Amino acid sequence: MTLQPEDFWSFTEWLLRPNAFLESALLQGVVLLVLAILIGLLVGYLISAVRFGPSEGFYAVARGVRDFFKFDLPGTSPRRIWALARLAYKEAIRRRVLVVVGMFVVGLLFAGWYLDPKSSDPGRLYISFVLTATNYLILLLALFISTFSLPADIKNRTIYTIVTKPVRATEIVLGRMIGFVGVGTLMLVPMGIASYFFVTRGLRHDHEVADIKATEDGRFEGTTSFDQYHQHTFTIDSPLDDEGNPITDSDADAIGITDMVRGHRHVVRRIDGKYVVGEPTGALRARVPSYGTLVFTDRAGELKEAGIDVGNEKASGGYGSAGVARLVGMVQGPRRLEHGYMEGGTLASAIFTFSGVTASNYPDEDGVPMEMALRAYRSIKGDIISGLNGSITLRNPDNKSIESTPITFVIKEYEIAEETLPRQLEGTDGKETRTLSLFEDLVTPDGRVDVIIKCLDSEQYLGTSLSNIYLRPAETSFALNLAKSYASIWLQMVMVIAFGVMFSTFLSGPVAMVATFVCVLLGFAAEQIYSIRYYMDRNESMGGGPVESMVRLLRQDAMTTQLDVDGVASQVIKSIDSVIIYILDVIASSLPNLPKMVGTAEYAASGFDIFGSLLARHGVATLGYVIVAFIISYFFLKTREIAA
Amino acid sequence: MPVATEPVAVVDAPVKPFVNPPASSTDVVIEARNLSKVYRDFWGRKKVAALKSLDIEVRKGEIFGLLGPNGSGKSTTIKLILGLLFPTSGRVLVFDKDATETSKNERIGYLPEESYLYKFLTTDETLDFYGRLFDLSGAERKRRVDHLVNLVGLQNARHRQLKEYSKGMTRRVGLAQALINDPDLILLDEPTTGLDPIGTREMKDLILNLRDQGKTIVLCSHQLADVQDVCDRVAILHQGELKELGRVADLLKVQDVTEVHARGLTDAAKNEIVEVIRRHGGTVESIDNPTTTMEDLFLNIVRESDRRPGARRVSGAEITDNADSGAAS
Repeated sequence: MTLQPEDFWSFTEWLLRPNAFLESALLQGVVLLVLAILIGLLVGYLISAVRFGPSEGFYAVARGVRDFFKFDLPGTSPRRIWALARLAYKEAIRRRVLVVVGMFVVGLLFAGWYLDPKSSDPGRLYISFVLTATNYLILLLALFISTFSLPADIKNRTIYTIVTKPVRATEIVLGRMIGFVGVGTLMLVPMGIASYFFVTRGLRHDHEVADIKATEDGRFEGTTSFDQYHQHTFTIDSPLDDEGNPITDSDADAIGITDMVRGHRHVVRRIDGKYVVGEPTGALRARVPSYGTLVFTDRAGELKEAGIDVGNEKASGGYGSAGVARLVGMVQGPRRLEHGYMEGGTLASAIFTFSGVTASNYPDEDGVPMEMALRAYRSIKGDIISGLNGSITLRNPDNKSIESTPITFVIKEYEIAEETLPRQLEGTDGKETRTLSLFEDLVTPDGRVDVIIKCLDSEQYLGTSLSNIYLRPAETSFALNLAKSYASIWLQMVMVIAFGVMFSTFLSGPVAMVATFVCVLLGFAAEQIYSIRYYMDRNESMGGGPVESMVRLLRQDAMTTQLDVDGVASQVIKSIDSVIIYILDVIASSLPNLPKMVGTAEYAASGFDIFGSLLARHGVATLGYVIVAFIISYFFLKTREIAA
Repeated sequence: MPVATEPVAVVDAPVKPFVNPPASSTDVVIEARNLSKVYRDFWGRKKVAALKSLDIEVRKGEIFGLLGPNGSGKSTTIKLILGLLFPTSGRVLVFDKDATETSKNERIGYLPEESYLYKFLTTDETLDFYGRLFDLSGAERKRRVDHLVNLVGLQNARHRQLKEYSKGMTRRVGLAQALINDPDLILLDEPTTGLDPIGTREMKDLILNLRDQGKTIVLCSHQLADVQDVCDRVAILHQGELKELGRVADLLKVQDVTEVHARGLTDAAKNEIVEVIRRHGGTVESIDNPTTTMEDLFLNIVRESDRRPGARRVSGAEITDNADSGAAS
């Protein structure tokens, strides 16, 4: 899992952006709210002016605003909201919406047949399957239940018996939203529980010991049976007797562990001479990472912000985080994450500085767990059998002469390597070489430590980004993490319901559904729109906007070449494109960033604990959009002639 | 012909005597001033002028009828009073508040033209739901729901979903929901459509009963007989314009015709009466045995059947016989 820089922000950093307030979510939210209100007032005035004339129209709008604050907002009654919410809920339930849950469960029963049984990481496959399936199913359902209900009520005129009671528009809107959220929740919970069992049961399997033989050093090596398209090898250390001598008797109780295959391993026990292979472990995890800060040094050992760019190492997306600043063109630089590479056999290195490294945070006696997902870039074929070599050096950030002897490792590409930084390690304190204590010598009193990664093979490169190497102070339970993923889906559902109800206050059912759907689509396409804007701002040829792309398609031009038409035509095309792209950019910037929320599934699938701050950010953003949708819905419903 | 011996009763008007409204009837409940409504299409082009400069006042404690053919503006008027439509010009005040204000609804009960109710709710749930919309407490809701279910006679069906109901039953639920808040003003849009004759009679009795409780009722209907039976005042609309407004008693009274109802007269006596009329310069237009209304006939049969259940022997000849006896009794 590769994280964008903004993913590391804490909640307050995201909300306020202490050094760049223009990029803050708060500002973006306020601007969006103010714009919504201004546009609302303007549109309201135009409609009223047509209906009642210019001056009377002004009073009509003023009365509407006054009514909202003076009567409708204070007069909103929880009992009425609750009654309307229950109505919306009952309507959906009695129309048998819950059948979808049944369909989902049936779908899960058969899904196992179609999920690749030979996948190298079945845990990831299963989790991302259930989360993606639930996510889109729930969003689709939210789309349907929220957009069709109110227009149907207006069409059937059942709304007549509601609005002729002392019911306020605020209550109708809130009642709907709450009712539908209730229905969605009622569906999401069983889906979540079913998913949990689907994943845990789906990954469970047994092996038997197929072959075992004693090795010369008194240990036992064996292989398991071939089940579920894989088998493991394992070693069992001989147990020690009271005097510390190994018991080589092949019947003595002993314990061993298999290798990691397809993301899991098993514990193998020997009890009364019989071998028992335990349940798979390690496939479903929720690591709590502790990220540091990252700087690079170049081949001469000089500090650099970024490592070497070996090309095509840019992860997509990430522009959306700059908020209003990006929209008005004040931030144009790339915000995307790039992997930095260090050249092997030189002084080039990646220096991570971790904080909070204390004995109380890392109580494990073996040492501090660290995980690495490094990339390799080869400029020569090199030794193709053993892989690239790297080294880890620990250093005291305050006194750089205190550092450990490099610990070498062979990098494992495309998987997460687990290392342990031992509590006692050889090194130098600047004067002499001795055994250093991790917490006393290498870690500063405030808990910081430098971890320096180098590539040892010359002419080969190791690549990393900030999220690729981290300490792992804790793990939480997989069930909790899955629940967090579902919370994220729930928030998306709330967002879609709010938009659906909003559109249904002034559009007919199918049109409201399409409108909501377009909003969701634009939200999903936001990063692509930002990306086009980015290239346009920098005047780089990357295919251009819609018209230019069309021309290129017809002319069969590559997207990185200069647009090969005459100057005037090119100007016209680019001007039209920039207008379209700027408009799309404004729209996309004002819509919820749903892909970011869908992205939380990636955390669960990769086995990372979903950050609390991330959920809090999504929660606050959702609340903001619900408020905007609520206000817009209110005014549309209030000014609508229900019987027209 | 059966022979009766009761004294002769002379009645001037063919309708029930009008009960004078209480002294407070001058209180104006609904006031429409120069009320107009033009329906426009999506582009703002004028489609139809549904209501043209309507001026009416409805006073407290009266039953006010809106009469007119289809498309005459009756429903538009009711919708404007309820705030379901906004007037193109003029305004409506209900309880001295603008019709678009939500708070006026606290004192209003509305029975729509068709019962636009949630079909997936049961009677109890429906009434409880509407009770909640008036912010009534749980105990109060329960009390009123019980009362209204008895009032409209749905005790045996209160736990069934409305989609299983006949039209008449849905109508009753509609009426019950209109009364859930014990309203001061009740608007009934075609209250008797879909009801059987017994239901119609009960509805009319209920309307009169509500008036006697001091409530104001506005109803619109094209069942002229119903309007005639219950309304104190009527407004007759045609093509969106007010054509007639006044007390039913005054409007219907034919000033130069006298009606005499008598029982037990012999043919000789009848001739003598005709003679007397002639002598006084009057013209006899007709002299005949009165017929009853189909409604009375039907109600009598049903009541009798309630008293003595079982098949009633009917033949072609007997029908006339029975009708005759029913008419005379």
